[in-house]
Amino acid sequence: MKTTIVTLTLAGSLASALAAIATPATAEEAKEKCYGIAMKGQNDCAAGPGTTCAGTSKIDYQQNAFKLVPKGTCLSMKTPDGHGMLEPGMAPA
Amino acid sequence: MIPSALSQRAGAGFKPEHFAAIIAEPQPVGFFEVHAENYMGAGGPPHAQLGKLREDYGLSIHGVGLSIGSMQPLDRDHLTRLKTVCDRYQPESFSEHLAWSTHDGVFLSDLLPLPYTQETLFRVGEHIDEVQETLGRQMLLENPATYLLFAESTLEETDFLAEIARRTGCGLLLDVNNVFVAAINHNLDPRDYIARFPLEAVREIHLSGHSETVDDLGAPLLIDSHDTPVKDPVWALYETVLGRIGPVASLIEWDNDVPAWPLLRGEAVAAQRLIDAAARQRAA
Amino acid sequence: MPEATQSAFAAGLLKAAPPPAGVMAWNSPSPHRRYSVYRNNVSASLTDALAARFPASERIVGAEFFQAMAEAFIRVHPPRSPLLLIYGDDFPDFAAAFEPAREIVYLADVMRLEAARTRAYHAADAASLDPQALASIKPDRLGDLVFLSHPALSIVSSSHPAATIWAMNAGERPIAPIPDWRGEDALVVRPRMTVEVVPLPPAGASFFGHLAQGRTLAEATGAAMTDDAAFDLSENLAILLRAGAFTATRKDQDDEDRDRA
Repeated sequence: MKTTIVTLTLAGSLASALAAIATPATAEEAKEKCYGIAMKGQNDCAAGPGTTCAGTSKIDYQQNAFKLVPKGTCLSMKTPDGHGMLEPGMAPA
Repeated sequence: MIPSALSQRAGAGFKPEHFAAIIAEPQPVGFFEVHAENYMGAGGPPHAQLGKLREDYGLSIHGVGLSIGSMQPLDRDHLTRLKTVCDRYQPESFSEHLAWSTHDGVFLSDLLPLPYTQETLFRVGEHIDEVQETLGRQMLLENPATYLLFAESTLEETDFLAEIARRTGCGLLLDVNNVFVAAINHNLDPRDYIARFPLEAVREIHLSGHSETVDDLGAPLLIDSHDTPVKDPVWALYETVLGRIGPVASLIEWDNDVPAWPLLRGEAVAAQRLIDAAARQRAA
Repeated sequence: MPEATQSAFAAGLLKAAPPPAGVMAWNSPSPHRRYSVYRNNVSASLTDALAARFPASERIVGAEFFQAMAEAFIRVHPPRSPLLLIYGDDFPDFAAAFEPAREIVYLADVMRLEAARTRAYHAADAASLDPQALASIKPDRLGDLVFLSHPALSIVSSSHPAATIWAMNAGERPIAPIPDWRGEDALVVRPRMTVEVVPLPPAGASFFGHLAQGRTLAEATGAAMTDDAAFDLSENLAILLRAGAFTATRKDQDDEDRDRA
């Protein structure tokens, strides 16, 4: 009984899924299809050891990370608490 | 002298952000060089792009992580990965550095310097034998840009490289910018280094930019930064080398603050002019 | 002894330390600044590698904070392989426990999404399941189908709107308040050469998770319906086919035997 219902559900759902995806690929998709694009996050910079010029600017690991405060877009992200960041001491959900 | 397997032309380091511009413009450079480690993933755009480039261009594969200058054994897994990349793309040239980057299993992601002694000579020679046997091909060894020296060194870098090439049969990759950077950093004349260098073993040349700072005492300290056009004194040194050995495959490296493709290509075109001039000089 | 020299040289690169004995310059017996160039190269190249892999996360916390967090991570988890493509797989877990980032409750999940994207980028190439192949299967056999995951497939679940936050910080959509703050699940796929993040509807993560574990289509459907009554099978099947999450199907013989018994 249960198997029959699932079979009917599956067949019907598959039919509507197939109908839903029956749209042709765009030209943009076709172009990227072959070689892709240089993705941010692909980590290609990994290959330049010995080539960083920052020999003077940020020498040594002296920063105390525990005094650091995030300054990026997290400040403008609205959380359920209505402001950018949760207050210190507030436990993560 | 055995001719270089690469065409005796100017090439450029391949950057994925240039891919679209490169395939839109036929034959702009003699060959491309890629860092082996960027092609050790299983698939995806890196392989799709390199496979496409390989159809039309000569290829040099340049390793940056094998740690040949380590006193500890080579990473066999990494050597196997290098073999996979070389077998797949059949590059005209494979090169690595006279430097180390892995110690006690930790990869330090920089090309670190080593003392030049009989002991390090023996170990580096063993490692190069192992690489050449595993890959089934000759490799090229690149001279390093260095910022300091070791009290225990007993050999000149040029003698060290000459003896390595003699013992192992490897070729040399002469990085002219590294020569200039290291010479200034050690208060030496770069032309003297070139005069002592075993030029007969050179199969490829690297050219790149560097940046300038000072050490604790205010003496000039050049950093091998690969983030600018090739500097004038490096071009001049390159001309000197070409005058001595004739045309040789030459590569522009630009890895940080990578410019638009036309600018990088322009650097390769400039190198090509000097190669052509050296060829005419030879013919005359 | 060159080996001792290398050990001493390496030891000072992942922490602040003076140049080891035996290291010198033409003008100095103890060249601090010159040795620091190497230490800085190690730090900069590894933090750059992490920043390249987690660009949206870097944007969320700012470059300065990200660098400090990356340096703290590198000290505890330096790379064990020259293959930096995969370096940082455990950075999201580290960030989840990183005290200064504790208030940014969604950060680790955004990082997990970014890590999955990079893995997908480098995953093996494979052709996705042809929808027509499914269309030709007899209806009474559909429930027994088992799907083979595409090598690029990941399912990232979050109790925060991590996919939306990622999209905003990856430049995919404008940064704006998120009034409807709720958990989000997403597929990370690369059907051809472009990595895609596909948001999932209710119980979609359960459905795809069960399929990726090798459960039959009937089992995965049943589990998803149990997890959330709002589960919409046809919507999820459309996502499955459009996203190229799987490469092929096979009928689960064992399962059929079990059913018969």
